[in-house]
This record gives sequence, C-alpha cells and structure tokens, in this order.
Amino acid sequence: MGFLLPNFLGFLLFTAGPVIFTFGAAFTNWDLQKLEPFRFTGLENFITLFGESQFWLYLVNTLYFLLGMPMAIMGSLFAAVLLNQKLKGIVVYRTLLYLPSVTSGVAVMIMWKALYNPDFGPVNAIMESVVHALGFAHFKGPAWLQSTQNVLSLGIEHVGIDPKQWGLGAREAIIFMGIWAAVGGGNMLLYLAALGNVPKELTEAAELDGAKPWKVFWSVTWPQLAPTTFFIIVMSFIGGLQGGFEQARVMTNGGPGGTTTTLSYYIYNKAFTEYQMGYASAVSLVLFAIILGVTAMNWKFGNQEVSY
Amino acid sequence: MKTFFGGFLALLVMLTLLAWRMIPPPEGGTRITLTWVTDENPVRKQQVALFNKLNPDLYLVIDPGNNDQSKVIVQSLAGVGPDIFDSWGPASLEAFVRSGIAWDVTDQLKSKGVNIPKIIWPVGLQSCVFQDRVYGAPCNVNGDAIWFNKDMFDEANIPYPKSGWTWDQFIQTAQKFTVKDPSGRVTRFGVYMDWNAWEPVVRNFGGSLYSAQGTRCTLDTPMAIEGLTLMHDLMYKYNVTPNPVQESALATVGGWGSGGITYLGGRRVAMAPGGRWWLNLLRTQQKESIARGEKPLRLGVVEFPKARVQTSGGGARCALINKNSPRREAALRFLEYLAGDDYNNLLNDVADAIAPVQRLCYTDHFLKNPAYPAEDYNEIWRSAADHSTPGGYTPFARGTDLAAITQQTDLVKSNLKSPALAAKVATEEVNRRIQIKIKRTPVLAELYQAALAKESQNASKLGAAR
Repeated sequence: MGFLLPNFLGFLLFTAGPVIFTFGAAFTNWDLQKLEPFRFTGLENFITLFGESQFWLYLVNTLYFLLGMPMAIMGSLFAAVLLNQKLKGIVVYRTLLYLPSVTSGVAVMIMWKALYNPDFGPVNAIMESVVHALGFAHFKGPAWLQSTQNVLSLGIEHVGIDPKQWGLGAREAIIFMGIWAAVGGGNMLLYLAALGNVPKELTEAAELDGAKPWKVFWSVTWPQLAPTTFFIIVMSFIGGLQGGFEQARVMTNGGPGGTTTTLSYYIYNKAFTEYQMGYASAVSLVLFAIILGVTAMNWKFGNQEVSY
Repeated sequence: MKTFFGGFLALLVMLTLLAWRMIPPPEGGTRITLTWVTDENPVRKQQVALFNKLNPDLYLVIDPGNNDQSKVIVQSLAGVGPDIFDSWGPASLEAFVRSGIAWDVTDQLKSKGVNIPKIIWPVGLQSCVFQDRVYGAPCNVNGDAIWFNKDMFDEANIPYPKSGWTWDQFIQTAQKFTVKDPSGRVTRFGVYMDWNAWEPVVRNFGGSLYSAQGTRCTLDTPMAIEGLTLMHDLMYKYNVTPNPVQESALATVGGWGSGGITYLGGRRVAMAPGGRWWLNLLRTQQKESIARGEKPLRLGVVEFPKARVQTSGGGARCALINKNSPRREAALRFLEYLAGDDYNNLLNDVADAIAPVQRLCYTDHFLKNPAYPAEDYNEIWRSAADHSTPGGYTPFARGTDLAAITQQTDLVKSNLKSPALAAKVATEEVNRRIQIKIKRTPVLAELYQAALAKESQNASKLGAAR
C-alpha cells in the first residue's frame, strides 16, 4: 500500500480530479474572460453544442480519420509476421520499423508536410511520373494538405455528400501519414509478442496434417491472435477518437476549411483560444460518451469473436 | 525488495537535493528579476540591456517560450505568470482584462506624469486602452507599407512606384515581375501578398469587418467584397502572388521572420507589404552580403495603393503588467521606460517598427540616420503609421467570430468559394453568433444595446451633417 500511495495520490490529483471537475464544469458558464459570475447553466452548453453545425462536421472529421485504422492494424500484423522470421539481422529490421515511434511527432509531421508539397514534394513527383508513364500526360497530383477533397466526397460546410469534393486531400494525407507511423509502432510489438506466444505444437500439427502456410496462418495463428487483435482494436478506437490534435496544430491549423479539425482540436480551440472552458468541458464530455459507447460496443460484439 | 525500493527512493531524494544545490544563482544577482513574455525579435536584447543599464536595481529577462495568449492567461491565473506580457490588439487586450490579469495602470502612470493616450500614435491606442482605462504602454507601433527591391526595378527598367498609386497600377507593376517557366509554372512572383492582409485591403476599399461599435459583421457589403475579391484575384486571376499551393513550394524553413521577408530578401518576389520591423532581418542580410563581397540588397518603400481610403494594416504591441505579480510596482518602471526618450530613440535606431511616442519620430535623426544612409524612406513609415488602422473587432461574439470568418476566408484563399458568397456566409454566421451570445449573457446584452444606441446616434449626426 505504501508503494502504491504516491501513484494513487498522483492519479487522484492529476487524473481523477480533473475528470470529475470536467463533469461539473460542463454544466457551467465557466469562461476565462469573465463577463458574468460563474453559474450553473444546466444543459445549455449541450443544447448549443448539438445545434452547432461545426460540432457535427468535426465529429465527422474525427470518424473519417478512423478509416485508416484497419489498414494500420493489418500493416502492423504484416510487419510483425515478417519480423517474426528467423532472419539474419532481424533486430536491425525491427529497429528500423520501430523508428517512427521513437522519433519526435512534430519532426515527423514537418517532414511529411514537405513530402506532400504539391509542386516539389516527392509524393506527387512519384505519383505523377507513374501516372504519366501510364499515358495520362496531363495528370496533376493532388494538392494534399491544401485540398478539401476526400474519397467519400464529404461536403465542407455541411454534413453530407458533395460530388465535387471527390479526390485526395488533407484528410487522406493525414491518414496515410498515420498509417505509416502506426505500422511499425506499438501494435506491431504487441503482435510480435503475441506471435511468439502461439504454441508451436499447434502450427506444427497443422503442418504435419499438410496445411499450407496461409492455411496455417488463417486457421491456427490468426485465431490465437484474437485477444491481441481485440485489444488493439479497442485501443485504436480510443486513440483514434481522441486524436488529430497534433496533426491539426502542426500541419494544417485545422484547415483547409476546417476539414482536418477533429473534436480534440475543437476542444483545444474552445478552451484556449476562445477561453470557453465550460463549453469545452461539454464537448469533452460528449467525446468521452462517444468513446465509452464505442468501447462498450466493441466489448459486447468484439469479445464474442475472441477465443482464449 | 523493500530495501531495493527504499534505497532507490533515497537515491532519488539525494539526486533532487543535489540538483537543487546546483541551481545557478539568478543572473541579476540581488536585483529584482522581472520576466517579460514577448517574441524573440533579435533586437529585443538591446532593448532589455538598455533597461537593465538604466535601472540598476532591476533585472529584466525575456521569456519567448511562453509567448502565447492562452499560456499567459492560464499561468497568470494559476499564480505562475510573468510580470510583463504583450497585448497585440483590442481582442487580445480585452481577453487579458476580462480574465482579470491585466493591471489597470491609469492612475499609476498619471501620477508619474505619463499620459499614454496623448503621446502615442492613435493606431496603438486599442492595444493598451480599454473602456477609457490604460492597461499598458506600446512597445512599438507599425503601419504597413509596400517594400520593393530597387535592383529588380532597375534591372527591369521599371520606375519605382510612388505614393498615391492605385491597385490597377500595383497589379500592372506586379505582372511585369511575374515570371513563368515553359511549363507555365510561376518561378518568380511580382508580389508576396500575405493572405492575412485581406482585412486591411477590405478597409482600403472602404469596407470593414464590423460596424463601428462591433454590433454586427459587415463583411458582406459591396465595398468589403470588392477588397476580398481583389485579394482572391491577385492569386487566381492575375497570378501575381502565390496561392497556398504555390506558397508551400516557396516555403522557407520557418522561424522568426520567415515568409515575406525571406522571399523579398531572396529576390523571389519584387514587392511585399510589410512593416519597418522587417529591417531587423533585412539589415542583417545586407551586412552578410557586404561581408561576402556582394552588393547589398537595395530597398525602397511606398505606401499601400489606394482604392477609396488611404490605409493599410497597423497596430501596436503593448506591454501589460500582470495584476497578480508581486513585482508589479517594479514592473511599472518598465512602462515608464517604454514611454521615455531613451527607449524610443533606440527603437527607431534598431528599426523595431517605429517609436510609439509620436514626437520622437519627427526628428531629423529618424528621417536620416547616418548609420543607415540608404534608408531614405522613413517618412513613408511615419505616413503609413498615420494612415494605418487596426483590425476590426467585436466584443459581442466573445471570440467565436474568428473561427467562422477564417473558415470562409480559407475557402476563398483556396479558390473553393467566391469572395461574395464566403463574405455572405461568414457575415450571417458571425451575426448569428453575436445574437446567441447576447441572448445568453445579460451583461453583454446591456453593452450591446448601448453600442447600438451609440451607432444610431452617430448615424443621425452624420445624416444631419450631410
């Protein structure tokens, strides 16, 4: 108990305390630029919030960024399977793949900003040279971080479809960068550990029965990885719904036209640019409820597929 | 295990004590240390050194790392804020005042014989005076003008622009300097027009962002739309200034002074609107060229072109004192310093914009500084400061206006929406937000009614005068 006490006090003071405080603050008019006395306003912040088109747009942005999650998870699994081989110098490969996770996020984002430069960036240079070689001489690469286009044709100012918005834009640029960073990250390590724990006798038995490598993976290894996959999916949902702040702050300022503003960046702006702490707390509470709901659903439906 | 953790804890305690013992003594020794949160302008060191020399019992240090409005407010409310911090305009000043961290120094300065509203350039007032109370003193005052590269003009045999020119002449001149490669890609632009200049341009066309008392957004008026359209057309119709995509290709490494200054200094553009403070870096570039045996950059300055009103962007950076600082009385001497001759003359010499005290810009030394004989354009800076106007502001949207306007102007900037439509949507949205705010905040509603009455009174007076 003695050893736990400092940590427990720290948790109470710096985690549980602020969380409980946020619950209360969400129902007040707390504003750092005091114009009126602090008072409880009931559900006013929530009514305003749900009536704001911006909130829904930013919620859609937040959900949009989750589109990269399946690819990031599959990429991590693929990388883990490759790195699980007994190859010479495997430690070097593991280190190289893990490098993006130990590199400063801001530095990585600035680097990607340069890579996405529409005129001089290597991403467009490669894309354009490939497409030109295929005979489409007039093809021009996307404007990436300067473009509001997206593969789902989502509108800019209202939640809905706008066919003119079809294409690759800032949202995809951030998703691709996220996939690149996530493939070799913590998920890969988790899969690597889980692969190490798959009982050899199971795979060997399958091989003796004549199963091909893909069949061994699909019928033996993959089910054994289910608990890890479930954990990764739950954590990715939580992280994804809370994410987008650094990218918006460093790469796009939430633009163009608010297309890369996520709920976490919206909370920051409301709290620290407009100083509406009560309102920002209300948005935080809604985000918390969304994350809780999604996690509960994951738990309820995802857990049924997990075999231990 | 207990011994291990106990020993580890003891080691950590010892290391903490050791680190505490090794903390170097404060640089100022026994002097009272004042912390000023401000930007990291290269000439700030000289301004601080002069203050420290003139005040042997005080020691001023700058803290650029915390130079962010939200940081200053949150830190000051938590009791760990700086002694002095900067306000950049009316919105910033109101935020500091309303949050209860800006000290009202009206009486203190008066007792010391310092009358800020009387001695400074009018454009600086809104950054330090709120509801007729003085909260600080300007550190500098700026009115934007158009910088141009004289060498590029001479090489192209194009006469230097003269004050009183029009936007048409501006565009024609810029077009002459815009160069494209065979593929049609622009390799040099006539001008670098920072998108943030859209609002001064709107004012130049006779429009405004808000009504006089800020009761409503007026961006959808024909004159305002004309200004916004010009900004759009400079990028997409005349192609004389980079659009966001082209600008990202021009982008420099960032940091203090990146952007227009670097493009102008590097001959990537022939003209760029900016302030006198650009000289901080441009002078350094000139010195470096001379040291390399190269011809230094030759610069000229001309006032903004005129559409309907001779105006450009302008404002002041004011130093405010943290109301909760235990050293606020000592910090008051810094405001006196900012209003004094020593500081203002130094400021003019180091070209950190122009001196906030108006009379000190009307000297022969300011017009013709022997140390910089090539700078024959200081009269223009005076004139620009006189003509410049601060950005529009409404106290009734409580800061929620900015996001709505930026979202729309962003779309114009990216050529995704027409200026007229964006202006209309932004105006409607801001006015809607103003109405929501005043409906929910009775105090604000009272202020709003008073402001409306004042606007209507002024309109009647104007009508009667006509």
